[in-house]
Amino acid sequence: MDIQDPHFWRAGAVSTTAVMLVVLTFLTIDSLAVTRAGSKRVPDYDVINRQIGYVYDWSRGFDVPVIGADEPLFDRLYTPAQASALVSRGKLVIQSRACMDCHTFFGNGAYYAPDLTKSWLDPAWSQIWMPMTGSTTRAEAMVEFLMHPDRYPTWSRRMPDLQLTRTEAEAAVAYLKWMCAVDTNGFPAHFGRSAIAE
Amino acid sequence: MYRSQKLALRYFAAAITLFGVMTAAGLLSALYYLEPTLLYNVFDFQMAKILHINTLVIWLLMGFIGAVYWFLPKELGREVEGIALAEVLFWVFCAAVAVVAAVFVFVQYGGSNQFSMWFINQGRKYVEAPRWAALGIVVVVLTFVYNVTMTAWRARRMTGILWVLILDLIPLTVLYLDAFPQITNMSQDLYWWWWLVHMWVEATWEVLIGCLMAWSLMELMGTSRRIVEAWLYIEVMLVLGTGILGLGHHYFWIGTPSYWLGIGGFFSALEPLPLLGMVVHAVYDAGTHRMQTSNRPAFYWVLAEAFGNFIGAGIWGFMMTLPQINLYSHGTQWTVSHGHFAFWGAYGCGVIAIVYLVLQQTRGATAFDSRAWKWSFALLNLGILGMVGGLLVSGITQAFYGVAQGGATLQAFVVASENHWFQSGMYARFAFGVLFALGYLALAYDLLSIGRRARVAAPAQVSAA
Amino acid sequence: MHADLFATALLLGLFVAAGGAYGILFAAAMLRGSAALRRGASACYALQLLLAFTVCAASPLALPWKLFLAASAAAYGCIPPMIWRLLEAMHGHGGAGKHTRPS
Repeated sequence: MDIQDPHFWRAGAVSTTAVMLVVLTFLTIDSLAVTRAGSKRVPDYDVINRQIGYVYDWSRGFDVPVIGADEPLFDRLYTPAQASALVSRGKLVIQSRACMDCHTFFGNGAYYAPDLTKSWLDPAWSQIWMPMTGSTTRAEAMVEFLMHPDRYPTWSRRMPDLQLTRTEAEAAVAYLKWMCAVDTNGFPAHFGRSAIAE
Repeated sequence: MYRSQKLALRYFAAAITLFGVMTAAGLLSALYYLEPTLLYNVFDFQMAKILHINTLVIWLLMGFIGAVYWFLPKELGREVEGIALAEVLFWVFCAAVAVVAAVFVFVQYGGSNQFSMWFINQGRKYVEAPRWAALGIVVVVLTFVYNVTMTAWRARRMTGILWVLILDLIPLTVLYLDAFPQITNMSQDLYWWWWLVHMWVEATWEVLIGCLMAWSLMELMGTSRRIVEAWLYIEVMLVLGTGILGLGHHYFWIGTPSYWLGIGGFFSALEPLPLLGMVVHAVYDAGTHRMQTSNRPAFYWVLAEAFGNFIGAGIWGFMMTLPQINLYSHGTQWTVSHGHFAFWGAYGCGVIAIVYLVLQQTRGATAFDSRAWKWSFALLNLGILGMVGGLLVSGITQAFYGVAQGGATLQAFVVASENHWFQSGMYARFAFGVLFALGYLALAYDLLSIGRRARVAAPAQVSAA
Repeated sequence: MHADLFATALLLGLFVAAGGAYGILFAAAMLRGSAALRRGASACYALQLLLAFTVCAASPLALPWKLFLAASAAAYGCIPPMIWRLLEAMHGHGGAGKHTRPS
């Protein structure tokens, strides 16, 4: 073993890289399989027809999404195909308006505006925006806000008006509802509750 | 001078110009935190941020490409193959960047349709550029790969550095294909997105800058090829050995299985170790040359690269990489602090060092020194230190009050953002950002002027004291 | 409990910083043959060990991570001397300080 010989280190570089890439390949195949829509970790898009909660799981040590009874979105239950189309449209809305450049999704994006992973469950919708917009449901409040954010100021930092149509706003809301049902290993931690007393 | 070296100079000019645009967009982005009503509904935060992070990627890429065009003909003793096409594509690249920027400024976003994806804004961080521009980047990069590989082929010669570079360019190019898809499933979208972002900045770019530093050290310090190549292989082994599975530190919370918490945390926590090796190496090189060199700015920027990489990526990264901590730091300004420091240390300093190295040779200056480079070095590095310090204070405040205490709701976000520590951090970030911008102006002035008044002579070899 | 996590994060940053300081001072000590720098390097490594011990003893991190941190501390101790010996061997001289450059 001649440590002065570059070929020795070249062999080390090649073999290390190869081993890591092989391991990554196997992990990727598994990760993609368990994160396809309809898997245990990532629900199918028609979860938007159901109630979604976020409850502490003692066996895992963190909060996990809980899918409950039927809860129509915009007063209707979507077929799987309709739900898929709506949620797909929602993702296109989020990309076309570059939401990720102010907000975070699963904590990824920009940090000027709040994380949207559990936005569907945020108490602010029922506490602040339902009364402010005169809506009777959280979903309606979210749609009204997204269509006219300049009418409903949050605080000193305000969301700009991104010219969302009603269809687009509904699609974005559906996307946020689907997203909050994904099992994210407990992120965000104890949503809506303080950890300091724990 | 070879044609590709003249092309390299054009790439450097474009890179440094975009560095200025990036700085201006960054200052504007920072200002929104202090003046939230600024340009409301006219030009909002997300567009300033898009300009900031896209020019970041492009200026560094242009710096890398320029550096390869500079070193390649010297490495192989011949003009670069396909250089005419590369020269044309440079202007096409610049024009495309200008058009994309203009659309970001004046159009900003479109409807939720494929037209927006193709021509306006794709809305995925770092790769917001519309698909037509992403295609353009693919063409430029493929041409670049062609230039490098065909030149080596025609020269019937390969060196260790070239082997590493060419093998690195393959995944670097292929990974960019993630700039195109539009995937509904956010978990899988982010899975592949991180292949592009992480495997660029924490893998293929690390190897690429390693190749460039190898060439640079041979010229700056006269280090032998055998030594730089051995060191390059060691670096590849350690950086990819930790960085490939260190990718997992982006897979803690996106819906992927929990085994990533262990795998990602473990390999990510190992990532500072190769950087420690680079710091020891930098001290060795500096000390054995007793800090003497005919190109002081390049030498100091190379040292800044080694130290900045270790501190920004190593120390700052290690603070937040273990999953139990990351659960709170994730998605806060803490990440921003780390990101700014790591990009600067790992890549910004390196590209600047190479530009100074090249300028000494093009201006034929024996003693290559000035006052302005010292000012820019001090202001840029002081600026970045202050910025990341301010962001760290804001980030920890946000993680504590917003997430740990507040439970990560909208109200918690507001409370954390209104906290006086958070605000102080943001003011400090802006103030030091202004210092950084002044440092940029000094840098630009110095790059235009340094060595121009020196007597024309062949570049001196560095001599050991 | 969660305030401890934030303190742990800062301690971990200091841990790596101390390791870096150890590496720098070690290399400087070898270059100059300075006993004072050598002592400084040892002090930095001792600080790093102390930080690791503090985190292991008092932080809320899970046990596997504490074990990993302890192993890391050992690795940080080995890396600067190993890298130094490697550099000396590559550059073709066995002692500290002097450097000649074959082209």
